Amino acid sequence: MTLVTALRKDALLQWRTRARFLAVLAFGAVTLLLFSFAAGPDAASLRRHAPGFLWLALMLSSTLALAETFQAELEQRAIEGLLLLPASPRALFYGKAVANAAQLALLGLALVPLAVVLYDAPVPRPAALAGVIVLGAAGLSAPGTLYAAMSSQARARQALLPLLLFPLVVPVLLSAVKATALLTTGDPMGQLRSWLMLLASFDAVYWSLCGLFFGRVVEE
Amino acid sequence: MSAPSGVIAGGWEYVVAAYAITAVILLGYAASLIARYRAERRRAARQGAAEVHS
Amino acid sequence: MTEETVPAPSRGPLPFVLGGLGLALLVAGSYIGLFRAPAEQHMGDVQRIMYVHVPTAWNAMLAFTFAFACALAVLWKGSWRWDCRLEAGIEVGVVLAALLCVQGAIWARPTWGVWWDWDPRLTTTAVMLFAFIGILALRRFVDDPARRATWSAVATVIAYADVPLVYFSVRWWNSLHQMQSTPETVSSPFHLPLRMNAFGVLFLMCGMIALRARVSALRLREEVAPPPAAVARAAAPGRP
Repeated sequence: MTLVTALRKDALLQWRTRARFLAVLAFGAVTLLLFSFAAGPDAASLRRHAPGFLWLALMLSSTLALAETFQAELEQRAIEGLLLLPASPRALFYGKAVANAAQLALLGLALVPLAVVLYDAPVPRPAALAGVIVLGAAGLSAPGTLYAAMSSQARARQALLPLLLFPLVVPVLLSAVKATALLTTGDPMGQLRSWLMLLASFDAVYWSLCGLFFGRVVEE
Repeated sequence: MSAPSGVIAGGWEYVVAAYAITAVILLGYAASLIARYRAERRRAARQGAAEVHS
Repeated sequence: MTEETVPAPSRGPLPFVLGGLGLALLVAGSYIGLFRAPAEQHMGDVQRIMYVHVPTAWNAMLAFTFAFACALAVLWKGSWRWDCRLEAGIEVGVVLAALLCVQGAIWARPTWGVWWDWDPRLTTTAVMLFAFIGILALRRFVDDPARRATWSAVATVIAYADVPLVYFSVRWWNSLHQMQSTPETVSSPFHLPLRMNAFGVLFLMCGMIALRARVSALRLREEVAPPPAAVARAAAPGRP
């Protein structure tokens, strides 16, 4: 089984569970609404915090999306069958991680219009913002997929996944929020490039490390 | 939050607090370690004895 | 895990000797730092916090580095001994990092007027503290010992690789603020208590890690390897 086959399997799985995606999206939307209550009705303050709120909403929803990601594989121990196939666990991992990254990126893109409406945040460069969201979603999905493989087979899994994932993705949150803020409010110092570099290097480090270790995590 | 220009006067209460917390945490952790170690040794010894006599 | 049984931990007095030596050094170094060393010319007496703060910082980082090395050894060799050391290194590192954050807050209050200053070093420590607390939780919630060993080793390598990324992201993020310099390059009358306490915490930490690894080994033996008597009985079932 090649990477393409694994990816097809996970894309199909995502499509068949689209009702769950909508539920996670609704959760993200509610979070955005709640943040505006916490920060008060002051329009200027809401606008200033819009990038942070957007990424926090995406991060909180991501644990819901990722926690269930191995559901189908664990039911009836299908993952053991998958591992018996002449396929590298690496292909399994990258299929799953790419599908998760796509799902999280979609989630982030769907939350943007809502943030624009609620926080009156300007989006002068939508294509660049989409790029930041894709990079950030990739940063959440690689370690998130690996940790979901562990936590879904452990006790107290609901608490375990965010506890493992959130400290790790602090660089993703910082760089994605900064990059989004620089995109929306302007970038007089030309800092955007270095934040994107940081985000991209996080992605590079964790996409390779997690792919390397996934086989050890799922082996019996 | 400017950098301090002159000498910070006093502040002994912060020094005392820092050393006290350091002592409490280090000694407390050491004590808990010794207690856990003794409990595990006792349990292992009891189990070994039970296995031999059964 | 490639090993079938967990080796019995040593009974030697080494952890207690190391711990006692470390404590004695710490008491002596702190006495010199508190009462013999002169007050620093800018920071005054508050500077004396540095004599415990800096040694704690060095050794907390060292403990996590030790855990990282143990994790590599677990993944490479699959031996239970390294798994026990891994757990010990993480737990002692978490204790030291927690202590470090408290000391940092106490230091920041009189110097900068706030409890927390988002200094990159201290913030990285706080992030790592939570990352390694997560790994301890992972160990607690996984019942199969072999899985627990591999998974926590993987998680340790992954968390340790995050240290430079967290450090640089916090540093850039906070760079609009004025960078506070923590006076670490101190002049010679301050060297002696700093060095004594650094070795004191180091010896104490080594003793603690050794003792904690023994606790892990004793627990693991109960989980993984049946005691020898039980094995002998199983081999000769007719024996009373």
